[in-house]
Amino acid sequence: MTDATTSSLVTATGLEPALEPASSSRAQNRKARKNAAKDPKRKITWDRVWAQRALLAMSVPLLLYQILFKYVPVYGWAIAFQHYKPGRGSIFDQQWVGLNNFRNLFTGVNGERFRRVVVNTMGQSVLTLIVGTLGAIVLALLLNEVKNLPLKRILQNITYMPHFLSWVIVASLASVALSLPSSGGFINQGLMSLHLVDHPVLFLTQPNYFWGIVAGTSLWKELGWNTILYLAAITAIDPGLYEAAEVDGAGRYRKMFSITLPSIRPTIVVLLIINSGWILSTNFELPYFLGNGLVSDRSETIDVFVLRYGYQLGNYSLAVVAGIFKTIVAVILVGSANLAAKRLNQETLV
Amino acid sequence: MKRNARLGGLRRAGRRLTVAATAMALIALPACSPDKSADNSEPLSPSNPTTLTVWITTAQQAPAPDNKITKLLKDKLGVTIKYEIVTPDNEDQKIGVTLAGGQYPDLIGTGDLKQRFLEGGALRRLDDMLKTGDYPNLAAHVKDDIKKMSYSGDQVDKGLYIFPNYNRFYGEVTGGTYFGPAFWIQKRVLADAGYPDLSNMTLDRYFQLISDYKAKHPQTNGAPTVGFEILASKGREWGMTNPPALLAGSPNNGGVIVDSNNHASIYADKDIAKNFYKVLNQQYSAGLVDPESFTLTYDQYTAKLATGAVLGMHDQGWDFGTATQSLQSAGKDEDTYVPVMPVYDGVTPWYADRAVMNINQGFGVSVSSKQPKKALKFLDTMLSEEWQKTLSWGIAGEDYQVGADGVFSRTDEQRKNSKDITWRSHNRLDALLDMLPKHQGKFSDGNAYSPDDQPAEFYATLSDYDKNFMAKYGNKKTWLDFMNKAPENPKYYPAWNIKLSDDANQVNQQLTDTSVQNLPKIIAGKPADFDKNWQTYVDSIHKIDVKVYEDQVNAGIKDRLANW
Amino acid sequence: MSRTTVAKPLARRASRGGSRRRKWTVEHIIFTTLNTTFLLALAALMIYPLLNTLAISLDDGNDAVRGGIGIWPRVFSLQNYDVVFNMTTIYQAFFMSVLKTVVVVATNLFFTSMLAYALSRKEFIFRRPITLIFVLTMYFDAGLIPNYLLIKDLGMLNSFQAYWVPTIISAFNLIILRTYMKSIPEEIIESARTDGAGEFRMWWQIVMPLCKPTLAVVGLFVAVGSWNSWLDTLLYNSSDPSLSTLQYELQKLLTSSMNAGMNSVAATGSAHSGGQVTTPIALRSAITMVAAVPILFVYPFLQKHFVSGLMIGSVKG
Repeated sequence: MTDATTSSLVTATGLEPALEPASSSRAQNRKARKNAAKDPKRKITWDRVWAQRALLAMSVPLLLYQILFKYVPVYGWAIAFQHYKPGRGSIFDQQWVGLNNFRNLFTGVNGERFRRVVVNTMGQSVLTLIVGTLGAIVLALLLNEVKNLPLKRILQNITYMPHFLSWVIVASLASVALSLPSSGGFINQGLMSLHLVDHPVLFLTQPNYFWGIVAGTSLWKELGWNTILYLAAITAIDPGLYEAAEVDGAGRYRKMFSITLPSIRPTIVVLLIINSGWILSTNFELPYFLGNGLVSDRSETIDVFVLRYGYQLGNYSLAVVAGIFKTIVAVILVGSANLAAKRLNQETLV
Repeated sequence: MKRNARLGGLRRAGRRLTVAATAMALIALPACSPDKSADNSEPLSPSNPTTLTVWITTAQQAPAPDNKITKLLKDKLGVTIKYEIVTPDNEDQKIGVTLAGGQYPDLIGTGDLKQRFLEGGALRRLDDMLKTGDYPNLAAHVKDDIKKMSYSGDQVDKGLYIFPNYNRFYGEVTGGTYFGPAFWIQKRVLADAGYPDLSNMTLDRYFQLISDYKAKHPQTNGAPTVGFEILASKGREWGMTNPPALLAGSPNNGGVIVDSNNHASIYADKDIAKNFYKVLNQQYSAGLVDPESFTLTYDQYTAKLATGAVLGMHDQGWDFGTATQSLQSAGKDEDTYVPVMPVYDGVTPWYADRAVMNINQGFGVSVSSKQPKKALKFLDTMLSEEWQKTLSWGIAGEDYQVGADGVFSRTDEQRKNSKDITWRSHNRLDALLDMLPKHQGKFSDGNAYSPDDQPAEFYATLSDYDKNFMAKYGNKKTWLDFMNKAPENPKYYPAWNIKLSDDANQVNQQLTDTSVQNLPKIIAGKPADFDKNWQTYVDSIHKIDVKVYEDQVNAGIKDRLANW
Repeated sequence: MSRTTVAKPLARRASRGGSRRRKWTVEHIIFTTLNTTFLLALAALMIYPLLNTLAISLDDGNDAVRGGIGIWPRVFSLQNYDVVFNMTTIYQAFFMSVLKTVVVVATNLFFTSMLAYALSRKEFIFRRPITLIFVLTMYFDAGLIPNYLLIKDLGMLNSFQAYWVPTIISAFNLIILRTYMKSIPEEIIESARTDGAGEFRMWWQIVMPLCKPTLAVVGLFVAVGSWNSWLDTLLYNSSDPSLSTLQYELQKLLTSSMNAGMNSVAATGSAHSGGQVTTPIALRSAITMVAAVPILFVYPFLQKHFVSGLMIGSVKG
């Protein structure tokens, strides 16, 4: 329900055209930052505020807007401390129960289960994120090597199409693909005809495969979509850089590793930082539709749990408690990622 | 008009640069004012037009604008209905915000088992209005079952708030199809075995029939024949969890069995369950149970059934209708299913029960309605036999014929129309009817409430194969004849619709999840590990606070025994 | 000025690359062959789901239930599309979806880019705190009910405003645009400033044209998000049919078809009386196609901006 869940995994990223090889700019950046810190101009004085009135006019109304639409409703988190029943008057006319809802979620039978779903969520998310990011970068690089423009466009157009199918349909197709050959399981058919296995494998009954299946299915659906921003970043690279490299006698792979990759690094970094905060917000459909009793120890995620014990039971409070937990973890993760990026002199969010 | 104003606002706003101005321009939009016609309980008439706003939770579609019954309502009663249709999938979210908002349409038709509208104070208590005598059809409808239909919890005043939308019967109940739970078996299996007697069915005999047939016919239409299918997908796990109670001769009480002392307890960890899963475990290792069972999505399950390769499964009759329809359209009647009722030794089967009233589901009048009398009058009018026939059968001469003997019947064309969802959106009010109180059973002229329940109508639609099949089983005329005669329901029945507290609901959910997680491992495990796996399952059940759940169910039973 | 607006399209590079004699080394041929083959195989894998969905949508409902359909319908039928297009609400809902998407994209790009510009200015003193406040909004959600009450209190229930007012800024897109803008060479900004341009002019006339590729990407994200959303319709506008959207109507149709599948057998106990009965699986595919195809067509139009349009690369300090 949050921004995080709706924008799945690597939906997009910061776009940064590289104007010069990043290695040389890094040192400059560092210097610039050091100078900025000492710069007396950075002190906030009324004069400076007045001088920046145009920038303020561009940002402050939108800031107030954002506070109204995003921050003010957070009073609703009060529900976490209530036995909330909608309709019984306002949010503040409810029965207050202190930390009971937190206790319910983090201890006892639910607690045991909750710890497991947190691990599953992280496992599936991290794997999906790594596979998805690597896949998207590799595809972007390979597409970039296609010099035939119409072909390149068509290829890109096709690879992004699965994004527009719902998760139900994709999960359904994945489930068939992974089934027995007699049920249309072409993966088993392929493995058997290559003599990699003797008997068909029931992939969806194996707990150890489940995270991989989730990551693979997500990759299938979102690969092309995730490539869009990398491609855009690549096309914004100054061709002069390539020309200069060619003069120096650089081959295809040198150009890839010394020019293209460094140039899209800010994009990759910003994206990873943003996504690091969504690690607890893995898409809920795949674990929900592909999960089953045999693999439930590895399949169930926080969102599946919240659906069953929060929304389906009309227990709004539990859903909010889980939401608060996710927010806290997200902020810690993003903060750490941002800090790490800063330490490494990479692009940062804030 | 309204929309133009909106778009105008939009265009104006687009030119402004500052957000503040934009926001102001947008906020200042007129809200629509409610219909201020006088509220009285005079008969509804075209000379005094009424607009009713109606919330309906239904999977049915809103009628098309040119719907003929909509026109009839307008012409005869002066009633215009403004629908807000919320599908069951979206209900949870929409109810939450609507209650928080506190503004409701005139009539609320809800299927919410958690009774959130009722307990959230959105509905009007109707007992006093019914006593005025202005609503004779409704008064007669609720008279005998008023206690059952009334709310007895402690969140709002006790009393009648909602008219159940289904299963308040008038006279004899008829019907041809069985929609309840059963072990199903393909007709070709029985035909091949020489139409064996289906009474005194046991699990052993059931699986023997299947295994004999599978041995003879390992392939079906080029695909491997599947002996027994289990659907374990979330939300449809009953195919896996419910059989023990039925095998033990207990009717469907959900997760509990109620003993002769009216005491309820869960059965998931009891021997009746263990014995059943032991059989399934053996059949699984014997290769009779589909190894793909537990990974099937509902679509895949339907597809497997529709290929005709699955010899048997346990399910509720309504759950695999799509597959049956597909098989029939392909002319594979021999691959469709008959319900059978295996039971443990010395037990009388109680699979078919008497249809249970949908208490707390249906229409209520909202507290924010400015015209509660008119709204209630509308429900009352719709419950008259004349309107009930129109809503259920359609218009005489157009949608059905009245024979010289007064019996209603339809032509093939009319039957075909009634199944076409596009046709229905122009000619039926399915969404409204789904929530209205109904005259189920028989009308005073002897016709059944709906075409589906009219015995002659049902038999006429059967294929020759089915007619012949039924003839082999002692000239049965309906599929219901294959089931037990439902005994009188116990007074408290059924335990599954007892309203639970949040804690008990949570325990119930935990129990379900434990079953869904453990049973597949038990069934698909090695027979040698059966006892160990079973113990793991029982242990995880005992970690759950089952007593909270059982106590509430028992309190509910006691309450019903005292008050119903 | 002239220096700043030399937005040379990629065509320059392509044509120059073409005119320059390539070294057709063995390595080059092998790489190109392998790469093209791999990408074509990948494309086949990626287009399969859509073709499969299309094939099922064009298949007879009762036949589609049996599964096993690849990329070609087994029993061709248009009945699924018949059902979808016979839905009387669909045209109005389609119009509303288009209108909503256009308005959301326009307002979102306008406001988000304006803010992104301000936050990209290194001298802006409140840059960091304001950025932080926006970044955080990506990671929490107040919940359905408070959000609903806010819309209600603002008088936006059952109004078109509920569709776009709450979404004029997206933190995610803000970061993308800001990151891009930050990388625009300072000398471009400085030279414009010396020409006397104020901040608003700088944003609108200098920076925005340079951001076209990113704006195209962000526009695509916003358009797709808006096109696909139906929760806003359900929560805020479901009681006014004139405000309904395509996705919401299709979602309802899907639910009702599942029910119809159940009821059609319930109705007579047999399907022998025939009739236009489709099945949920087949109908779902038709619904998917109807929902996805219009938005799929948006992509090629935007694609040209970021696949071949090089804007600022040629600016050299």
